[in-house]
Amino acid sequence: MNTVHLLLVDDEERFLSTTKTLLEKQGIDTTTVTNGFDALKIMDERAVDVVILDVKMPGMDGVETLSRIKQKHPLVEVIMLTGHASIESAVEGLKLGAFDYLVKPCDIPDLLAKIKEAYDKKRVMDEKIREAKIKAIISHPLAAFEKDKPEEK
Amino acid sequence: MKTDSFKHIRRVILSRVLLVPFIIVMLVFGTLLYYFASNLRDQVASQLVRIADGHRNLIEQFLQERAYDLKFAAASHSFKGIGYENKLALILEQLQTGSPAFFDLGVFDERADHIAYVGPYNLKGKNYADSEWFKAVQKKNIYISDVFSGYRKIPHFIIAVKKEEGDRVWYLRATIDTLFFNDLVENIRVGKTGEAYLLNRDGMFQTRRRSGGNLMETDPDYGTYRARGKETISFVAESNLGGMYLYAAGRLRGTGWLLVVRQEIGDAYAPLARAVVLAVAIVIMGGAVVVMMAFVLATGVAGKLTAADIEKRQMGAQLLMAGRLAEVGEMSAGLAHEINNPLQIMKSEQFMINDILNEIEKDGRQPDPENLRLVRDSVNQIGTQIDRCRQVTQGLLKFARKSETSIKSVRLEPLILEVVEMVERRARVEDIRIVKKFDTLLPPIFTDPAQLQQVFLNLLNNAIYALKGKNNGEIQIAADRENDEIAVSVSDNGCGIREEHLEKIFLPFFTTKPVGTGTGLGLSTCYGIIERLGGTIAVASEVNVGTVFTVRMPLDGPGAKGKSESKYSDKEGEGQ
Repeated sequence: MNTVHLLLVDDEERFLSTTKTLLEKQGIDTTTVTNGFDALKIMDERAVDVVILDVKMPGMDGVETLSRIKQKHPLVEVIMLTGHASIESAVEGLKLGAFDYLVKPCDIPDLLAKIKEAYDKKRVMDEKIREAKIKAIISHPLAAFEKDKPEEK
Repeated sequence: MKTDSFKHIRRVILSRVLLVPFIIVMLVFGTLLYYFASNLRDQVASQLVRIADGHRNLIEQFLQERAYDLKFAAASHSFKGIGYENKLALILEQLQTGSPAFFDLGVFDERADHIAYVGPYNLKGKNYADSEWFKAVQKKNIYISDVFSGYRKIPHFIIAVKKEEGDRVWYLRATIDTLFFNDLVENIRVGKTGEAYLLNRDGMFQTRRRSGGNLMETDPDYGTYRARGKETISFVAESNLGGMYLYAAGRLRGTGWLLVVRQEIGDAYAPLARAVVLAVAIVIMGGAVVVMMAFVLATGVAGKLTAADIEKRQMGAQLLMAGRLAEVGEMSAGLAHEINNPLQIMKSEQFMINDILNEIEKDGRQPDPENLRLVRDSVNQIGTQIDRCRQVTQGLLKFARKSETSIKSVRLEPLILEVVEMVERRARVEDIRIVKKFDTLLPPIFTDPAQLQQVFLNLLNNAIYALKGKNNGEIQIAADRENDEIAVSVSDNGCGIREEHLEKIFLPFFTTKPVGTGTGLGLSTCYGIIERLGGTIAVASEVNVGTVFTVRMPLDGPGAKGKSESKYSDKEGEGQ
């Protein structure tokens, strides 16, 4: 199975380091950043499958970061991390296209399971897109030159 | 205290609503009564004058007629014929047919010898040369005497006429029936006490007076009668025998007698007195009804006002409570975040420890020192996070303990720092710097620390809200001494407050936050607290530049600003 490329966004440094260690042990390639700006920057640089995003952060908050991620990378799955008091922002996140949300404090196995679900979904989507592209190329070979247009948008 | 204000309100209403109309009504009533009374008095007096005038004419006419009767009798007979007593008796009879007032009749020659007489007395042959009437009739031809006693020693008056027959002169004299004449005058009756009588020029009674005064007696009040001219006039005078009388008096032509009609003043003015009594009774009764109605009305209004006042006070207390609840709600959101983050870290650490322990168990060997270091690190981290949680819960407890009001000596600096600590993390999340500027030597003040903390927490929360989504957000909290006050200012460089909102900012339920996010109670609660603690709170703001809230607290506590204010805050305390 392919390695999952995960981006963990939270303002708690210790949470980032411990969780990164745990996830790496599970064979998940984890990158950590402390704010939304950095997250967007990283995603421009390298391929990311799943993003775990804290809702409450200094600077750009989780919801705004999510909407920007979805604008630029619609296929990346985002899991929101929220407190009980900010369930509304989780709902808002789901509306904006987040894969799911987790309420803090969450168990690490739950987190792992959600990451796997999200990754599987992304893989299925990737597969479908790939098949569609192949079909398109087979039926209209000339269309292959325009293939990237809808994706880029 | 409540009943005092109730009574005060009622008294004010009563005096304003009742007193002014009462004075006006009394003025109107008094004026009307005065004119009514004087009018009625004039009417009574003129009526008495009319009665007196009428009777004066009647009496004058009566006397004149009797004089003419006598003159006619003298004219139609000669001295020779009339000298016979049976002839004279016939004449008397004829005269009496005309008027029963004729009592007797006599004939006198020029020497005043009584030549012939018909009547009950034996007066024939007597000489009247010295008598007053004889002297008068010689000059006047017709003479009506005053009442006198004469030979018969009984009060009477006579009418005498002079007849010249060639060179002979003789006189015919008739006595008028005293009783008949007396009745003529005395029978005039006005009201209960009204009476009429005749006086001669010397004030001697010519007719009896019912209330006392016999014929030929002198009226002791004659001097007080003001009737001098020919007109009948009315006047009020006090009798020498006691009592006030209303008089009407006029002189008779010919005799010069004075006809007096008088009535006791109380009797004369009885209708007036009745009217006045009735009017006063109506005014008193009406006044009583008005007073009663006003009292009922004032009691009702005062009751309602007092109830409204009490309600207002209760409302104030409830607002304070609601404000605190809103504060708790707002805080709990931040609180969840504060606690959830450490918990999340602890979860991760716990999983990590578990993971390593599993590895160690599986290997069954001496644990790897690197793994041991990781476990210790995780355990330490859990301890750190527990401390973090404890700080949060302690802050919450401090907030919850604010319910009791207690004034004590407090140093402001640590008090404000505690509040700043509560919001500092949230501020950091929003990218806001909090700058503290404290005067180094702030004296302690007497105040309620918990409530004051609530105020500063509120102001800081507002400042954070104003800085939401703004770069370089900064909150400055400064404390300085100003005379016997300490001024604490909380300023931010946030969105500011619009001028039209600035004046309403301390009103309860006024908020510019979106529906559902703000209660509009925060600043009104602050205002209430600062007011009760004897301080003041002021605001200055400019849109897009920033806002400054300044709280000034007296060093000596709530009581220091004058007794009235401390009394007010006592009352407030009662209401809670």
